[in-house]
Amino acid sequence: MIQIENLYKTFQHENTSTTVLNNINLHIQQGECIILKGVSGSGKTTLLSMMAGLDKPSSGKILIEGEPISKLPDLFASQLRAKKIGMIFQHFNLFDHLSVRENVMIPLIPSGLNINEINQKVTQSLNLANISHKKEALASHLSGGEKQRTAIARALVANPNIILCDEPTANLDRTNSLLFIEILKELHNLGKTIVVATHDPLFDNVSFSNTIIPMQEGTIVEGTVVNE
Amino acid sequence: MLNNAFFHFLTLQLFKERSKHIGIIIISVLILFLLSSVLFISSSLRHSLNETLQVQPDFVISKVQGGENRATPLTWSNELLNIYGITHVSPRVYGRYFFKSKAKSFLIVGVDFLDEQAHKNLQKLIENIDIKTFLTQNSMLVGEGVKEYLAHNFYDKSYNFLTPKGEFKTVKIFQTLPTKTNLIGNDMMIMPMDLAREILGYGEDEVTDIGFNVPNPDEWTMINDKVSALHYDVRVVNKKEVQQSYEHLYNYKGGVFLMLFLILLSTFMLILYQRYSMVHSNERRHIGLLRALGWSIHDVLKLKLLETLSIVFISFILGVVTAYIYVFIFSAPLLKELFLGGQNLTSTIKFTPVLDFSVLSSIFFIYALPFISAVLIPVWRVAITDPKEAML
Amino acid sequence: MNEILFSNPVIVYLLSELILFVLLLIAFIISIRVLIHWDFESFSPLQFKLEQQAYLVTTITLFVFSMKFLLLLYFAFTVDSLASLIAGAMCSAGVIDANEYGSPLLALKLLILFGLTLWIWVNFYDLRTKNYQWFKEKSWIFMVMFIFITIELLLDFTYFTHIDTHQPVSCCSALFGQLEGANPLPFGLNISTLLILFYLLFALVILTLLTHQSLLYIVANILFLYIAYFAVVYFFGTYIYELPTHKCPFCMLQKEYHYVGYLLWISLFLGSYIGINSAITALWLKEENQASIKIVMSLLSFFVLLCSTYVAVYYFKNGVLL
Repeated sequence: MIQIENLYKTFQHENTSTTVLNNINLHIQQGECIILKGVSGSGKTTLLSMMAGLDKPSSGKILIEGEPISKLPDLFASQLRAKKIGMIFQHFNLFDHLSVRENVMIPLIPSGLNINEINQKVTQSLNLANISHKKEALASHLSGGEKQRTAIARALVANPNIILCDEPTANLDRTNSLLFIEILKELHNLGKTIVVATHDPLFDNVSFSNTIIPMQEGTIVEGTVVNE
Repeated sequence: MLNNAFFHFLTLQLFKERSKHIGIIIISVLILFLLSSVLFISSSLRHSLNETLQVQPDFVISKVQGGENRATPLTWSNELLNIYGITHVSPRVYGRYFFKSKAKSFLIVGVDFLDEQAHKNLQKLIENIDIKTFLTQNSMLVGEGVKEYLAHNFYDKSYNFLTPKGEFKTVKIFQTLPTKTNLIGNDMMIMPMDLAREILGYGEDEVTDIGFNVPNPDEWTMINDKVSALHYDVRVVNKKEVQQSYEHLYNYKGGVFLMLFLILLSTFMLILYQRYSMVHSNERRHIGLLRALGWSIHDVLKLKLLETLSIVFISFILGVVTAYIYVFIFSAPLLKELFLGGQNLTSTIKFTPVLDFSVLSSIFFIYALPFISAVLIPVWRVAITDPKEAML
Repeated sequence: MNEILFSNPVIVYLLSELILFVLLLIAFIISIRVLIHWDFESFSPLQFKLEQQAYLVTTITLFVFSMKFLLLLYFAFTVDSLASLIAGAMCSAGVIDANEYGSPLLALKLLILFGLTLWIWVNFYDLRTKNYQWFKEKSWIFMVMFIFITIELLLDFTYFTHIDTHQPVSCCSALFGQLEGANPLPFGLNISTLLILFYLLFALVILTLLTHQSLLYIVANILFLYIAYFAVVYFFGTYIYELPTHKCPFCMLQKEYHYVGYLLWISLFLGSYIGINSAITALWLKEENQASIKIVMSLLSFFVLLCSTYVAVYYFKNGVLL
């Protein structure tokens, strides 16, 4: 569950201040799939990174499963991020010099699990994302679709409740984008909370999504579109 | 906390980014090599000297005149024997003999081969020598350096000494001293005491000086005073003073080197600081990504510090091992001159391998501590990389 | 220039202390800034920056602590190596006593290690709270320690520059040996009462430790530390040296005794430090830690066992006690 209350974010730049997020209030229930829709600069990526605790708000509250992620000491925020949140980035963000398996392993390393437990979870996750046939390949040698699936496997490896995706299809062709949406559907069926920030029209008619939230200039535009 | 997976990732990172570290490792190894070599040599020399001093008498007295040592009357040794607490009184005859051109000299040491005390001191030197044949004719034992020098001047079997009285004295070269004694024995000639007297020009009841022991260290001061009071023209030197002056000498040489080394070290620290501060945008993105994936600042710090520690450790091992090989197996060509410069005869000194905890810990503190200190702040700066970087 | 300053270990030691001090100075300056502006509830970018800088202070302090611990051992070794340079000195005892700065310096070093251990303890609990609850306490301990470490650095340099190599110093037998009639033991104890007290206090320490009687434990452990020092110097030490008249806390650090002194003093002091600090934090911060009890128990038991073993082995070999 994600609760956002009175969230503001302003950047001070010399004497001008820019408001990126302006009084955001949002409640996302467990198992919901939310699509934040808007052009670039609408603040959706900033909102997403605040949910993951990657960026700090100027004021307001973000609660991830009841924990104020933006106000926790780094150690706790990181633990929360590692256990509860899986991130999928626009540019896949893989370590090019590492293999698929090693990339997927990364979120588990600080957890204190031993290597056998980690390998077990990695294998599971690779199967789930349908990339286990490439597990020893270097990330730099993968195609766009394979990179995306590696990124998904990495987001799932710690078995998080929440999946946050930032423009997940921006670097994919249509076939792979549709494939990605299929995988999201599977995750939705597994009961994961999913938030996608995107401007891709492919997401407009996603059958499983409960809510599409249009964003504009840092605010949520009235008249939220609800599927169903 | 340091589970397998963490080390797995650490070694993976180190290996995959080895080209990034290789420069630092090379500089480190060079610095460590220089530092360790010097410290190895100085500790080895000190060790050998201490061993040599161990068998020396506790006190040595000699007659002085005008501040210079003169031939000491043998009768003094009887006076010493009368002082309670003194043992092992041993008159000694030695001195330098200058070779023709006067450019080179040998140290002639006269030994009373029948005296058990003297025997014990020389045991190492004359282990495999048949004393009976040695004593039946004028013979001597010579150090490697002497042997080589004489052979070079066509004296293979014996040498003709010129005594102060102008007579020639032919002495047979009986055997060379063991190589391990080269530090002190290189330019030494050991011969029976009477023969030495004759060559050095001492009278029959004269010696160079007289050594004696005082087993109870608490009595040293008292004995020192008593012996000094025996004659007006006596000089008393105790072993501790000799040891101290040697220690000071080697400390001085090592110390001057270390102080010069500090300049090198500060340059090194500066380079390290700069090198570790120079963070590639790609690397910042990597760290940001790690943070975005749930690594805390603490985890990244741990990774980066362990990475540094591994580099320190690898360089440490490589530097110390190469220095060890250089000093103790190849006898430290070039650097040796720094410590033994002004040698009389070309010497083939083998350093006794001494690898004690003290030298290693000194090397650790003067290398690893500045290294880690220099990179601590840059590493922290990397570790607090904003996880937002991953989103860019 | 003083010839002591050319001694390699002294150069290395002073350099190390100096570098660590520079690091601490940086941490100190940051600490002041952090303490002044610290407001955990604030959302200002400054507060987030301060939280990150606090990590630098933590990292530096942890590094300095571990190095200080190693450097104390190195200091003991350095001082020992000087014994051959100074007239009359047979071991560290004489060198420490070579001027009036030696003993305060050694005491200060032990105090600093204690303070730093306390800091580590508070830091440990602080990082486990979700609002940096003990941040101010931790920072104040750091400030005080910084002042102590500054004094220590000054003393370091004063001490080593004021050793006169020609002025004869006393050896340990003169410093620790019994003068006629004078009893060096505290509270008018004799050897047998000292030993009874030693073992009784050890039992009390373990008992209070296991029953979580923090306050009583602190008192017991401080007393035990004090008594253990005398017990080692005046009784157990003689068995290490196998000489009834040899009473010295330093000689056992030498190679002849297989460096057993390091093992002995480290287990005693480390055990006591961890134990006392864990008890202090239990009283002060109301935080308890089970793991530390085990560590303290094993370190102190090891110490007592090691001491006793020397006596037992001597008795076993020679059939008599000294």
